[in-house]
Amino acid sequence: MAKKERGGTFFVVPAYNEGQVIAETVRPLVAAGYSVVVVDDGSSDDTATKLADAGVHYVRHPQNLGQGAALQTGARYALGEGAAYVVHFDADGQHSLESMEGLLDMLMGGDVDVALGSRFLRREDRAAVPRARRLLLKGAVIVNGLLTGLWLSDAHNGARAMTRWAAEQIELKENGFAHATEILQQIHAKGLRYVEGPTRIHYTEYSTFKGQKATGAINILIDLILRRLLK
Amino acid sequence: MTPIQLLLLLIVAVIVLLYFRRLRTRLFDRLFFLMIGASAGVLVAKPEWATAIANALGVDRGADLVNYLGLLGLGFLWLVLYTRQREIDDRLTDLARKMALLEAKKPKK
Repeated sequence: MAKKERGGTFFVVPAYNEGQVIAETVRPLVAAGYSVVVVDDGSSDDTATKLADAGVHYVRHPQNLGQGAALQTGARYALGEGAAYVVHFDADGQHSLESMEGLLDMLMGGDVDVALGSRFLRREDRAAVPRARRLLLKGAVIVNGLLTGLWLSDAHNGARAMTRWAAEQIELKENGFAHATEILQQIHAKGLRYVEGPTRIHYTEYSTFKGQKATGAINILIDLILRRLLK
Repeated sequence: MTPIQLLLLLIVAVIVLLYFRRLRTRLFDRLFFLMIGASAGVLVAKPEWATAIANALGVDRGADLVNYLGLLGLGFLWLVLYTRQREIDDRLTDLARKMALLEAKKPKK
């Protein structure tokens, strides 16, 4: 994509108390000419001040609602600003711009509505995943497959790119982390065309600390099942 | 009438009254609750009826039947409250999202 066309691609970055890293995370995106919308999910730290001159769109939830809610708010905002593409990008710096551009390229042909990042398509990406996490992820892949009918190689890595049309179709109701499975459910239910593309996740000490714990997975599963039963 | 019967009847009456004061809407809920309250009152006044019904259903003691139904009722109550809670969460999210979008800041040029 030529640099001048990049403004129509919106990176949605949900941030909850990420003041320590947020400016660093968005800098390369803004520098490359992409539009960035940071959804501050009711942070109590200095996330807002760190972004004052970062060149990003800033949307703030009046209180903490969860990552799923933040992504939905960000997508809504981006669509309102006329976004042609919407990208989900983690605030903790674990995703690389390069990977996301790879996913965006997959959308350009017009045969695909959603491109989902996967750590398990290339040997080197896979090797970068800590072993304990690999096991957990494989479990999550099976749960996702059973719950959504979408059998992927990876689960819940947060790297996604979608066309405007797909972003309009997807409406996240799961405010918490269960949104990652909910997205797959909606892709399946609405018949969106999807593809997996390789992503490298950078496991820094910071992102590992801030990231999801294994115990969180059980809570997510319970959320999903209850939601499914009680809809 | 034994003291425990009086006590239980009093509690049933208070719960029904409180419920009606708090939830003025939802006719079905109110009728349902009225029915529950009425059966509770009847069973307190005529405990032997509970045993008769229990026996007809293949349960030995009336108290056991009341216990089973009470547990089911509790489960039902949990379900209703959970669903309402989700509805309230959804509304809160909508509201917060609208506020957030209204106050969105564009990048400084």
